[in-house]
Amino acid sequence: MNLAAPGSILWLLAHEMRLYWRSFRGGRAGKGARGLIGLTIVGAMMIAGGVLIALGLHGHDIPINPLSVSIAALASAVIFTLMLSQTLSASSEALYDRGDLDLLFSSPIGPAKVLLVRALGVATGVATIFLMVATPLLLPTVLYGHPGWIGLFGVLAALALAATAAGLVLAMALFALIGPRRTRTVAQVMAALVGAGFFLVSQARSILGQQASSSVYADIMQRSQEGRLNPPPFADLPLRAMLGQPLPLLALLGGAAALFILSARALGRRFSDAAAAAQGATTSAPAKAGKGPARAFSGGVFLATLRKELLLIGRDAALLSQVLLRVLYLIPTALVLSRNASHGTGAALAGGAGVVVFLAGQVAGSLAWITVSAEEAPDLLSVSPARIATLRRAKLAAAWLPVALLLALPIAVLAWFAPLAAIWTTLGAALAAWSSGLINVWRQRPGKRSEFKRRGGASWVATLAEMLVSALLAGATGVAVAGFAVWGLIPLALAGLVLLSLRRSDAQIAKALRLR
Amino acid sequence: MTEALIVRGLDKTFAKPAVMDLDLTVHAGELYALLGPNGAGKTTTLRMVAGLTKPDKGEISIFGVDAKADPAGAKAITAWAPDEAMIYDKLTPLEYLEFVAGLWNVEPKAAKARAEALLSKLGLESEARRRCEGFSRGMKQKVALAGALIHDPKLLILDEPLTGLDAAAARLVKDMLQERVDAGGTVILTTHILEVAERMADRIGIIAGGRLLAEGTLDALRAQVGGMGAGGGKDGSTLEDVFLQLTATPAPVSGEAVA
Repeated sequence: MNLAAPGSILWLLAHEMRLYWRSFRGGRAGKGARGLIGLTIVGAMMIAGGVLIALGLHGHDIPINPLSVSIAALASAVIFTLMLSQTLSASSEALYDRGDLDLLFSSPIGPAKVLLVRALGVATGVATIFLMVATPLLLPTVLYGHPGWIGLFGVLAALALAATAAGLVLAMALFALIGPRRTRTVAQVMAALVGAGFFLVSQARSILGQQASSSVYADIMQRSQEGRLNPPPFADLPLRAMLGQPLPLLALLGGAAALFILSARALGRRFSDAAAAAQGATTSAPAKAGKGPARAFSGGVFLATLRKELLLIGRDAALLSQVLLRVLYLIPTALVLSRNASHGTGAALAGGAGVVVFLAGQVAGSLAWITVSAEEAPDLLSVSPARIATLRRAKLAAAWLPVALLLALPIAVLAWFAPLAAIWTTLGAALAAWSSGLINVWRQRPGKRSEFKRRGGASWVATLAEMLVSALLAGATGVAVAGFAVWGLIPLALAGLVLLSLRRSDAQIAKALRLR
Repeated sequence: MTEALIVRGLDKTFAKPAVMDLDLTVHAGELYALLGPNGAGKTTTLRMVAGLTKPDKGEISIFGVDAKADPAGAKAITAWAPDEAMIYDKLTPLEYLEFVAGLWNVEPKAAKARAEALLSKLGLESEARRRCEGFSRGMKQKVALAGALIHDPKLLILDEPLTGLDAAAARLVKDMLQERVDAGGTVILTTHILEVAERMADRIGIIAGGRLLAEGTLDALRAQVGGMGAGGGKDGSTLEDVFLQLTATPAPVSGEAVA
């Protein structure tokens, strides 16, 4: 029997992988050499880090005790939630993203098989991302004295399978509970919440005011020192599997694979029904007939564009989920900052101010990238007599406004307890948001919103520059809040230099966009 | 006679020449159909007129406004509606029209009244506050057409406006275009449906290989084909006969086009 015969699971999987690879390659057309250089540099840096880890761990074995078991289990749980965030999002998208779904469902291939292959594609995609990070960092250690640690990769594969099964079940449950119109939005929001889950949980105690600076890790360490750490039964499975013990590894892989196959097979028929229902569903609100006359039109290019961008940001769940993830980090950090100010904890205040500035830059950057690059009707703007500068200002304002609204309350609280820190934080956040917006204008890469579900379509120069400038401004703010404002001028100047090096004139932007 | 559009010596080359030394004149108040086989250069020509593609060479004047020297001035009196509707799926038709009116700086009160009138005329009144994402292609085309008309342009350019429309919608759009021309507006359209051009157009331009092969009324085109021999150009010959005859023969040297 030919396992890869047309219509078989392997054959379908090969088809999926070919499409995935071509879309991956297609997104980088013309960027081959530069992309390769960038990847080589990043890869070399990671391998160097991996070699250092291997040298550091050579001759050291990890003991299996309550502390190591708890840390391994915690790490596995964190990775699982991060993976679940992606698989939930991918599973819900699989229902709406038509692609070749209609072709497959109209063929004699059973829906369970189609779903199984789709799910395998999701699991492979998620596992690949984690393996790409883990391999250069951990392979040197595996090769240099710890061959058993190859089990780490098996654990990652098992986690990917389990996360895919959970993502599928969650997406289908949402579909059954709230219907096709809302599932997409709710799934994307849930994915963001799950992704930031551990951070939110770890910050919950700080926000609620129990301990100013406690973390789950610190808690585990303290319990371990006091001999109060008692991991539950089977909690040692992940660690034993990571260390290459065959039975635990097989148990994890087997369990995850069984979960995966069971969920894919059980949901197969429902998946095809749900996909068909999703096709007919719209996410539009029902017509509000008989609700009286529509409100007045806003006049002028700036106001009309600002309103349009804010409406589009608010209505695109997939795009919002990317931003939401950062917002979910921003809000608790800003609240902790305000709380630290009221408790007068200086160092924490400076650190918190820096984090708020960094995240403000990141959120503004994400939104600016959406408003500037993901324009759905660029020709409409081009044929209009509107000045490009006005359009741009409106688009950036739409990116900055939500950040300002998000930060308004925490900054107001901060201003009450520590006015100077509030001034520095406001200045830093405004500068970071402004810089990120400008970078996205200078390094814009137009594309459809549908292509921007993951930020892969964005310029990597813009993404890296945004992070660097936000980090430098965060450093400057932190130093200033700590009372050393003069020293803050150094990162500030560096940020300015980075911005200057990225600056492009309108003519250069147009040339880069090949509009001329 | 006022000229709505004067194009002189227009050139555009991408990987290969798309438009070559093109001259075109559209009179005010007429419906002009630009026809040609696939890849003839119709869309490139119209995109240059709309200010979307920069010509390598040549001049474009819209109602006396030099599109090169004063692009904003030219755009202010022009509307462009391509075959793929330029709309936002997440906006409702009313929100879309509000945005487009803003781009053209239409006074808000007038824009709102005009938007409601256009949506009503296009049969989209009940859909005015639903997002466009669930709309059929035809409905999206109608919303885009409303967007093109919201600022009451002097020159309306449509690229394949009837693609994807059902019979009723196509009739509605054709009637609206005819009304517009009857009221003194100027319309330029491209279409592959030659019967539409034959019935609606005051004058027709036929383009192939980036060059204008012929331009004029149907009778003028028939006469030109008659002059080419090979049995064409009879009084009863259809536009399709004329079109096929013209596009089947090699392109004439620049300057041979008839007006």
